[in-house]
Amino acid sequence: MLLQQLINGLTVGCVYAVIALGYTMVYGILEFINFAHGEIYMLGAYFGIIFLALFTSSGLAASNFPLAFALTVLLTILFCSAYGFTIEKIAYRPLRKAPRLSPLISAIGISIFLQNYVMITQGATDKVFPQKFGDASFNFLGASATSLQLIIIFASGLMMLGLHLFIRKTRTGKAMRATAQDMTMASLVGINVDRIISVTFIIGAGLAAAAGVMVAAYYGLVNYSIGYVAGIKAFTAAVLGGIGNIPGAMLGGVVLGLIESLGSAYVSAEYKDVYAFIILLIILLIKPSGLLGTSVEEKV
Amino acid sequence: MKKGVLFSVCFFVIAAFLVGCGAKKDDTIKVAVAGPMTGSIAKMGSDFKNGATIAVEEWNAKGGVLGKKIEIVIGDDASDPKQAVAVANKLVNGGMAGIVGHFNSSCSIPASEVYNRAGIPMITPASTNPQLTDRGLKGVFRICGRDDQQGKVGAEFVKGKLNSKKVAVIHDKTTYGQGLADEFKKNLSAATEVVYYGGVTIGDKDFKSVLTSVKEKKPEIIYFGGVFPEAGLMVKQAREIGLSSPFMSGDGTIDPKFIEIAGEKAAEGTYLSFSPDPKNIPAAQAFIEKYKAKFGELGPYSIYAYDAMNALLTGIKEAGSADGKPVTDKLHALEFSGALGKYRFTEKGDIAGSPYVIWITKNGKFEEHWKP
Repeated sequence: MLLQQLINGLTVGCVYAVIALGYTMVYGILEFINFAHGEIYMLGAYFGIIFLALFTSSGLAASNFPLAFALTVLLTILFCSAYGFTIEKIAYRPLRKAPRLSPLISAIGISIFLQNYVMITQGATDKVFPQKFGDASFNFLGASATSLQLIIIFASGLMMLGLHLFIRKTRTGKAMRATAQDMTMASLVGINVDRIISVTFIIGAGLAAAAGVMVAAYYGLVNYSIGYVAGIKAFTAAVLGGIGNIPGAMLGGVVLGLIESLGSAYVSAEYKDVYAFIILLIILLIKPSGLLGTSVEEKV
Repeated sequence: MKKGVLFSVCFFVIAAFLVGCGAKKDDTIKVAVAGPMTGSIAKMGSDFKNGATIAVEEWNAKGGVLGKKIEIVIGDDASDPKQAVAVANKLVNGGMAGIVGHFNSSCSIPASEVYNRAGIPMITPASTNPQLTDRGLKGVFRICGRDDQQGKVGAEFVKGKLNSKKVAVIHDKTTYGQGLADEFKKNLSAATEVVYYGGVTIGDKDFKSVLTSVKEKKPEIIYFGGVFPEAGLMVKQAREIGLSSPFMSGDGTIDPKFIEIAGEKAAEGTYLSFSPDPKNIPAAQAFIEKYKAKFGELGPYSIYAYDAMNALLTGIKEAGSADGKPVTDKLHALEFSGALGKYRFTEKGDIAGSPYVIWITKNGKFEEHWKP
């Protein structure tokens, strides 16, 4: 039973972690919380349904489902990245020099807009994600995991590793770290800060979109308001790990998923959503910078 | 000067509205259909609307009621108790002669207070929580059964037919879900052990932790008090973690979307307490034909909304007035024959007799399975 709960928790935790990366990356550079990030995740879930329906009607999903699903994920990431890029351009960039509250309010506005936009265009009722994964599950030591759970855990791990390598090893990654440390200095040494910020939003949105499609396929049920709760949970994960800190967001997400799962199994399921926030309060009281947060000292 | 123009425009707009309202009030009788027109169970709301619309169209074709045309006003509560109260106030101010609604018990109960204060009768086609009619409000009626009857039928089925010794009970913490689950639990005999009892959050998508705990207890049947989005996900996820015990739920789950969400294979063999199949009731056939031609497949509550609207309009006609008090009195005394059979309201506003039977999910369809 413990193993089963750990698998359940890890699946959810990986999703939180992937979404949390978007919050933490943006915070690391711009020091503001992108409240519209949860909506990108919701858009990802919807795009997933739309593209998969497209492939189903064209017959690709019937003949080669893994290819159709992979293409769906890819296209979804592409479209949502475009959303992330555009949102930054129109809603945050003009406010870069404004007081810090202004982009925050702008983010909440975008969030409300996207929710209602999806509600009006896609309808207010739940959409069902076609169940094509079969019910093959893998049993070991009395616990079982579906193929989709394994895909989610594996893909999330891969994305996190990829992001980590990207930030540590590439030139753009180095520029991102530099921009996060000091935007003015970074621009003085020839880094195109605007471009780096765009890249950050594109990557963050792409990750959220991937999480959205995977979750839509996993639960099979999508509506326009799923971005809110997922966003709040992922934000909690980011703060838990230390906001602005990328490995912290990954750790925070996984820890949060496990706490929720174990809490509802061994204490009471009725307070499932409460555990996350209790842990958040405790962390903020004891170690305000989060589990791995040291970013405060980096800034001078 | 500019301000003056603005004011006069405003004045004319407001005046026009008032004139418009006044003129309308005279030649129509307004009745409202209230329920979740948006939100995750918006389908139930549109089923209400469709069923009631057919009733009103039939009356209007015969010349309306009290010599006036009937006009339907739609109220959307989005399954939210707060919004239900707001909508109820709006409908009361709009001069309704009566209300058909709401869907969720958690909306019907607070809204009924508002209607009661204004003296407007309400008939709900779907709210089954006992509290709705147990508070002694005179103008509150329901045309469906009560959760205590429904929970009892479920418990009788589990005791008598399935002979289950170990039962798990899960609810969604709402007035309806928890009420139903508690009634079910109360009516189980001492021979049946409740091995798990707990709540989940409505709108949540992940129930695997709860289900893993339930699986550990090895129940022979799992009773869920809640509505179809959660029920569908729960059945699906139970099968994914290898929990194969059959599920049982109430009338809130009997919707084709339940099977769509859970998947045909996972949903197979789920028991549901609900009223008898209208397809087997001769008097309902005319309505079903008409509904299918106009709106497509019948929703679970379309026919109740139709009967509720007919009861309300019959009450208005018999009372000879659209005022709340005489209509309420008339409804209490009314013996009325609807598409689902004969109705008589009890002193409380419930219908006489228990209408529930047990249904089963088979090959992606619901069918009647057992009668108490």
